[in-house]
Amino acid sequence: MAPKTDVLQGTLDLMVLKTLETMGTLHGYGIALRLQQVSGDVLQLNQGTLYPALLRLEQRGWISSKWGTSDNNRRARFYSLTRAGRRQLDREAEDWHRIAGIMARLLSARAEE
Amino acid sequence: MGIIRERWSRLRGWFGFGRRDDDFAEELRFHQDMLEEKHRTQGFDAAAARRAARIELGGDSQIVEQWRDQRGLPALDMLRQDVRYGLRMLGRAPGFTTAAVITLALGIGANTAIFTVVDAVLLRQLPYAEPDRLVTVGDRAADGTSSNVDFTTVADWRARSQTFESFALMRTWLPTLVASGEAEQVPAVRVSWNYFDMMGVRPALGRGFTADEDRPDHWRVVLLSDQLWRRRFGADPSIVGRTIVMNDREYRVAGVMPATFEPLDAERYYQRAQLWAPVGYDVSMRDACRGCRHLRAFGRLKRGVTIEQATGEMNVIREQLRSEHPANYDAGSIAVVPLRDALTGNVRRALLVLLAAVALVLLIACANVASLLLARALTRQRELALRAALGAGRARIVRQLLTESAILTGLGAVAGVALAWFAVQGIAAVAPVSLPRMDHIRIDSRVLAFTAAVAILTSVVFGLIPAWRSASAGLQGTLAVDSRTNIAGRSRARAAIVIADLVLALVLLAGAGLMLRTVVALSRSDPGFQSDRVVTLAFSLVGKAYAEDPAVVAFQNHFLERAGAVPGVDRIALAGQVPFGGNFDCWGFHAKGRTKPNTADDPCIQRYGATPDYLGVMGIPLRAGRFISDEDLTGSQPVLVISESTAREVWGTDDPIGSEVRIGGADRGPWRRVIGIVGDTHHDDLTAPPTAAMYTPQTQVTDSFLIAAIKSSTSDPASLVAPVRAVLRELDPSVPVYDVATMHARLAAAAAQRMFVMRLLAGFASVAVLLAAIGLYGVVSHGVAQRTREVGVRVALGARRRDILRLVLGQGFALVGAGVAGGLAAAIFSTRYLRTLVFGVSPVDPATLAAAAGVLALVALAAHSVPIRRALRIDPATALRHE
Repeated sequence: MAPKTDVLQGTLDLMVLKTLETMGTLHGYGIALRLQQVSGDVLQLNQGTLYPALLRLEQRGWISSKWGTSDNNRRARFYSLTRAGRRQLDREAEDWHRIAGIMARLLSARAEE
Repeated sequence: MGIIRERWSRLRGWFGFGRRDDDFAEELRFHQDMLEEKHRTQGFDAAAARRAARIELGGDSQIVEQWRDQRGLPALDMLRQDVRYGLRMLGRAPGFTTAAVITLALGIGANTAIFTVVDAVLLRQLPYAEPDRLVTVGDRAADGTSSNVDFTTVADWRARSQTFESFALMRTWLPTLVASGEAEQVPAVRVSWNYFDMMGVRPALGRGFTADEDRPDHWRVVLLSDQLWRRRFGADPSIVGRTIVMNDREYRVAGVMPATFEPLDAERYYQRAQLWAPVGYDVSMRDACRGCRHLRAFGRLKRGVTIEQATGEMNVIREQLRSEHPANYDAGSIAVVPLRDALTGNVRRALLVLLAAVALVLLIACANVASLLLARALTRQRELALRAALGAGRARIVRQLLTESAILTGLGAVAGVALAWFAVQGIAAVAPVSLPRMDHIRIDSRVLAFTAAVAILTSVVFGLIPAWRSASAGLQGTLAVDSRTNIAGRSRARAAIVIADLVLALVLLAGAGLMLRTVVALSRSDPGFQSDRVVTLAFSLVGKAYAEDPAVVAFQNHFLERAGAVPGVDRIALAGQVPFGGNFDCWGFHAKGRTKPNTADDPCIQRYGATPDYLGVMGIPLRAGRFISDEDLTGSQPVLVISESTAREVWGTDDPIGSEVRIGGADRGPWRRVIGIVGDTHHDDLTAPPTAAMYTPQTQVTDSFLIAAIKSSTSDPASLVAPVRAVLRELDPSVPVYDVATMHARLAAAAAQRMFVMRLLAGFASVAVLLAAIGLYGVVSHGVAQRTREVGVRVALGARRRDILRLVLGQGFALVGAGVAGGLAAAIFSTRYLRTLVFGVSPVDPATLAAAAGVLALVALAAHSVPIRRALRIDPATALRHE
């Protein structure tokens, strides 16, 4: 089994936004589950740290939350992307792609020499 | 954008808005339940599933903590914690807290009070449009101010100047308003029609003056002050357009000025104007002549023009005029003075000295509180070391201690503002009348902002050093042993603070001492006349009945005869002005055969129009010849009596008696014969050389504005005012009486500003000495407490009282010696700033400095008395058992 990777500082926001975009409205547990599944269990996410991040995103107006009922008929808090959040996701995704591209080029150029 | 929203949400969260803890707990519980369920489906039993879920989620109290930190503002939480903790610590040491708060309140309160005065008098914008462009203009007087000008010269300025937007003129005016049977001398001025426009103020009611009204025979139009309008006309708005009668003439009321309008004082001793009329001159008038300098000129500079540029241009114009009219202008120059400086002039230095003095008091207060904090830090060393050991960083501890300092300062500032409120009332009560804008003194938001700034600075100054020392001590100090070296270091710091206290206190004491000597010197200096038992009151004879001089002279004679018969009146005389009466009546003095090539350069001599007994009432000595007598009549040989200064200035060592002089114009008027020489008097300033003076008989130069000078045969001259007033009322009820004062009071008013500075400096010095004594007491008694065991051992080994005394005093006197030496040096350096204020004593007067040092040493000795008694009472047995 490959060593687990810590969540890179600042990327958690992007992950949460993207997750909410693809999955629609989700509760906190659902987001944590989804992040783990997508990363193939490689991602080491302290599930507790997810909640301050969710609160921060909400304070910034990028996601909103309200109480609802889960699949198993329990009261749960559901998060969904706001319009501002969608714009923020586009911006951050673009930044990420650019940086990833730069990193990729840089690393491959080194390998050739 | 997102960040700002976040901050806002967090601030709301901190105040308790937003999601609550139990709301989040439920969310978290759901998460945990889901995890548990997942693990159960993977085959765990209930207990194991719960454990696994806990592990996967992490410690829920940490999560809640992190979530709360995100919800609110943890920095504010820390502050709240520090404040609560600090308040608890201060509450537990009430003695320390009280001492520190009182000390700070004294320092901050004194600063707030003086700043309130400085702000009102020096800093606050004048209430006119763009006041920075307003100036006074005129020939430069000896003291740097601008002197009076004549109408024609200003007309030339208007035509030639490029740097001024406009010029306005003002002349004094004392109309008598008779309404509902009571005659009143109204303080008034006549101004050029553009005066109010130049200031940028408009009447509240009616309209201002027009250019057409500022002409001869068209100028009988007035504007009323809000106060006069309310007092004499019942605030009746229909007054506008009506006529009022003054000096038997009718004046149309054009309008009423707003209550907020601050009139410029026509002359510094006059009351504030309550009535305005146009000047009403044109260049053909006699009073408008070149050399008829009795007008104040104000100007508004064009935008971007500096004082230097304006002065340069005006000097060029002055030289042009001098070459065109050589007889009318002497060699001199123009002074363009910013209006603010012209209004505050000589007060500025006095206030700045006081401001510096209170700053010293605040420094001493800071030093004392720092010293208290250092002493307290000793007892808190264990606590701080414990905190450091438990992981508090140095910054965290400094922050905690600074918070405590800030709380102390906050309390001190609140108490200080309360103190300042009382102090300001006191200052206003003792302030000299000549302090301008005193009526605008109040504690407002500007002053409170200043206090807050002072408080913040204060808490940093006195809090940072002890806090930093404590923090480092906390890190290096161990919990078990209290290190002796540390105590020594701290005592050194406290000793340095006490020395600084003493230095500052001595500077203030020396300053107060010099001002005290000045006031004493002023009261002892000879004004040239006898002020004892003399009272003066002014009245004016104007209107149709007194249009001709003989009528005035007849009234004078009736008055002297009747008032002289009032019981208690020893002698009585009339004069056009008296010394320290606030008037100036300077006439060109042209002695036959001794005039300058340009008669405009001849001296200007103060003229006192007097009746024969003036010399006797005032006690001025006759030096040669005779004084004015009953033989000097209107038709007889015109005569003149001069003062010794005048004789010296014009005739040198020659005998002036019998010489002939023209006064006023060099080429007109009768030749007046000098018949006598009298002693010198000071006209308005005891600190300046005596004023050159001349005396003319009222019969030959008749004044309508008169001052009766009455010498009482009892020690209570003021009791004569009522009967003399009654005599005047009997003679003519429409004659207004004003400006009643004893000569003593007039002299005291002249010294009022120095008296004011002296009183305040003495007050500050007392506070400073008290604070320094408290600081000294603290250090010495602390030293005794530290050395209890040492003293005990010495006593046990046979030391006598004298030895113990030497031990305690030795330490204290080293401090006092250093403080006094440093203080003397600092005083010699700093009292030079008092140079313009002191009189009759050198700013580095050795006797004053020695006295100040002596007072300080005595107080220092007193501060030692309690610790000494304590040291002498140390019982060796107890002292040794104690450790």
